[in-house]
Amino acid sequence: MTIAATAGRTAINPRAAVLAYLAVSGIVLLLMMLLGLTMRLAQAQWIDVSPDFFYVVMTMHGAGMVGIAGLCSAAVMWHFVRRHVPVSTAVFLTNLVFFLIGAVLILGAGFIGGFGAAWTFLFPLPAHSGGLWSVNAAAAYLVGLIFIGVGFLLLHLDIARGILSVYGGLGAALGVKQAFGLAHGEEGPPPAVTASTMALIANILGILVGAAVLIISLVNLYVPSFTFNALAAKNLIYYFGHTFINVTIYMAVIAVYEILPIYAHRAWKTNWAFYLAWVLSTVFVLTVYTHHLLMDFAMPTWTLVAGQVISWLSGLPVLLVTAFGTLTVVYRSGLRWNPAAALVFLGVAGWAIGVIPAIADGTIAVNSVMHNTQWVPGHFHTYLLLGMVAMVLGFMTYLTNPQSRYGVAWLGYWLYLLGGVVFVLAFLSAGSASVPRRYAVHVAQWLPYDRIGSIGAACAIAGVLILIVRFFVGMRTAASAQDPSG
Amino acid sequence: MNARLLAAATGSWLVLWLPPIRHTLESDMVLHMAVQVPLLIMLGVLVAVVARDREPRWLADADWLGIPGIVAVVLGTSFWMLPRALDQAVSDPWADLIKFLSLPLLVGVPLGLSWRRMPPLGRAFIWANFIPKLGAIGGLYLGAPTRLCAYYRLDQQELAGWTLIAIAVALGMTWFFAAFVGWTPSCAKQSPRRSGGFLIAAVGGN
Repeated sequence: MTIAATAGRTAINPRAAVLAYLAVSGIVLLLMMLLGLTMRLAQAQWIDVSPDFFYVVMTMHGAGMVGIAGLCSAAVMWHFVRRHVPVSTAVFLTNLVFFLIGAVLILGAGFIGGFGAAWTFLFPLPAHSGGLWSVNAAAAYLVGLIFIGVGFLLLHLDIARGILSVYGGLGAALGVKQAFGLAHGEEGPPPAVTASTMALIANILGILVGAAVLIISLVNLYVPSFTFNALAAKNLIYYFGHTFINVTIYMAVIAVYEILPIYAHRAWKTNWAFYLAWVLSTVFVLTVYTHHLLMDFAMPTWTLVAGQVISWLSGLPVLLVTAFGTLTVVYRSGLRWNPAAALVFLGVAGWAIGVIPAIADGTIAVNSVMHNTQWVPGHFHTYLLLGMVAMVLGFMTYLTNPQSRYGVAWLGYWLYLLGGVVFVLAFLSAGSASVPRRYAVHVAQWLPYDRIGSIGAACAIAGVLILIVRFFVGMRTAASAQDPSG
Repeated sequence: MNARLLAAATGSWLVLWLPPIRHTLESDMVLHMAVQVPLLIMLGVLVAVVARDREPRWLADADWLGIPGIVAVVLGTSFWMLPRALDQAVSDPWADLIKFLSLPLLVGVPLGLSWRRMPPLGRAFIWANFIPKLGAIGGLYLGAPTRLCAYYRLDQQELAGWTLIAIAVALGMTWFFAAFVGWTPSCAKQSPRRSGGFLIAAVGGN
C-alpha cells in the first residue's frame, strides 16, 4: 500500500519541511525547559521570582510545552504517514505558520500582558484577573490557542483526506476488521497509518470541542454578562486539553514502530492484538478525560467512576502491544545500540513507567489526596519528558545521524536520562510527601525536593541541548539525505 | 428535469411565504432558526442545481476555489443569525421579504455553486468550523442574561440554544461516523476510494 506520497505535487521538499518543524520544536522545547527550570529554581529559593511572574512562567511553560509536544510529534507522524498516503506539504507548513502566529500571541499575552491563568484557561478565570492582566491579554492567549487549533485541524483534516483516499474509511485505516478477526492481521494498514488515524479522530473531535469553549470564553471576556456553566466549560476544556496532550504520545510512538525495526533489522509485525489495542485506545482516549474532574463533587458520580475505570485501562492496550513489540524486535536481534535507537527505546520505557503513577492518580481514593500535589507533574513529566520527548529526540537523531560519530550524542543521552530521572523522582517524592503543586512560594521543609529537582532539570536540559545542537549541526546534510531506511 | 426542479423550488418558496405557514414558523424561535431559515437556503441550493449548467464562465472563473461564494454564504447566514435581524423579519413584512429573497439567492445559490468548486480540505474545514460555532452559539443562547430577541420568550431562547447544540452534536456525530465507515453520498460516488469518501464528497460531490 506504500505510495510515492506527494511526488510532483509540490515544490517544497517534504524532508526540509519536517526538519523545519523539528528545528522550531528544538528551540521552543529548550526555551520552555528553561522556563520550567526557572520555576523549580524559584521554588528552591535559589533565585527570586515574584509570585505574579511565577504564574506567568507557569502558564507559558504549560501552554508552550503542550503546543510544542503537539508540533514535534505531528512531525514524526507526518514524516512516516506520507510514505503510505498522499498528503500536502503546503498544509503541513501552514500548520507550522499558524503555530508560530499562535505562539507569538500566547507569549505576548504572558510576557507583555501578564496573563497567568494556567494553560488550562479554566472558565471564568481569564475574565477575573484581579488586575493582573487585561481583557486584551486574555483574549490574545485564547486567540493564540485558536490559531494553533486551526493549524492542527487543517493538518489532521489533510491527513484524513489522504487516508480516506487510500483506505476508504477511517475504520479500515484503524484496522477495525483486523482487530475483530474479520481480516488477517498481516493484511492490515501499516502502524503509521493506524496511529495517525487514531490521532486524527481524537484530535479533530477534541479541537471542535475546544473551539466551542474558546469562542464562549472570548465572548465572556468582552461581554461578562454572557456566562456559561463553569463545570460544563471545564468538561469541554479537558476534553480538548487532555485529548490533545495525550495524542502527542500516540503520534510520537510511530517513531518506535519505524525506527527500531531499521536498526534491529526486523520488521514490526502487526496482528489482531495490535489493531484491537489501537481501536480500544481510540475509544478510551476520547472518554477518559473525566479523571481530571475527580475532585469536582458536582459531577455525576457515574462519570467519575467511568473516569477511574477508563484511566486504568486507557493507555494500557497500545502501551502493552508497543512495549511487547519493542522487546520482541530488540531481543536477540543483534542490534548495535546507537543514540537514536536508545532514545526511542527509552521513550517506550518512560511511557510505560510514567503510566504507573498516572494510574494511581486516576484512582478516586488516591486522587482526593494526591491531586493537588507534585505527584501530578511527577507522573506527566515521566511519560512526556522521558517518554514522548525521548521518542522525538530519537527521531531527530535518526534523521541527522552520521553513523560514525556517536560520542557527543551519547553524552547528551546520558545527561538527559539521568537528569530526567532525578527530576521526575524529585516531583514524585515531593508529591508523596504532600508538597502542593502550583505554589510559587515553598516552605523550608519542601526545599530539598525543589533543589534536587532543579539539579536534575539542569542536567536534563544540558543533555537535550547537546542532542539539539547536534541536530542543528546535522541538519544541512539531512535535508538532502535519504532516510537511513532507504 | 431542470424545469421541474425550478418549479418545485418556486412552489415551495411560495408555500413558505403563505401567511399561516410563515407566521407559524416565525412564531417560535426554534422553528424560525432551525426550520424556516435552512429550508429557504435549501431552496436556493435547488436553484443552483438548475443554474449550474448555465453559469457564465466568468462567474465560475471569478469564484476561485469556491472561496468568494462561501464567503457570501458565511456573511449571509451570519447576518440572519443576528437577533436584531430576526426581530426585524418578524415585525416588518418588508424585512421578511428581504430575508425570503436573500437566503435562497445570496446564500443558497452560492452554496450550491461554490461548494463543488471548493477543494476537499476546504469543505472539511468549513464543516469543522460550522459545527463548533453552532454549538458555541447555542451555549451563548443558554448563558445570555436577557432575551436576545424582543419577539421571543426566554424559554424559547433556551430551547433554541439546546436545539443548536443538539444539531451541532448530531452533525458532528454524523460526520464522524460517515468518515469512519467511508460512506459517500450517492451524488458523489464517482470513485469513492480515490475521492476519499465522505470527507471529500462532504455533501456536494466532486
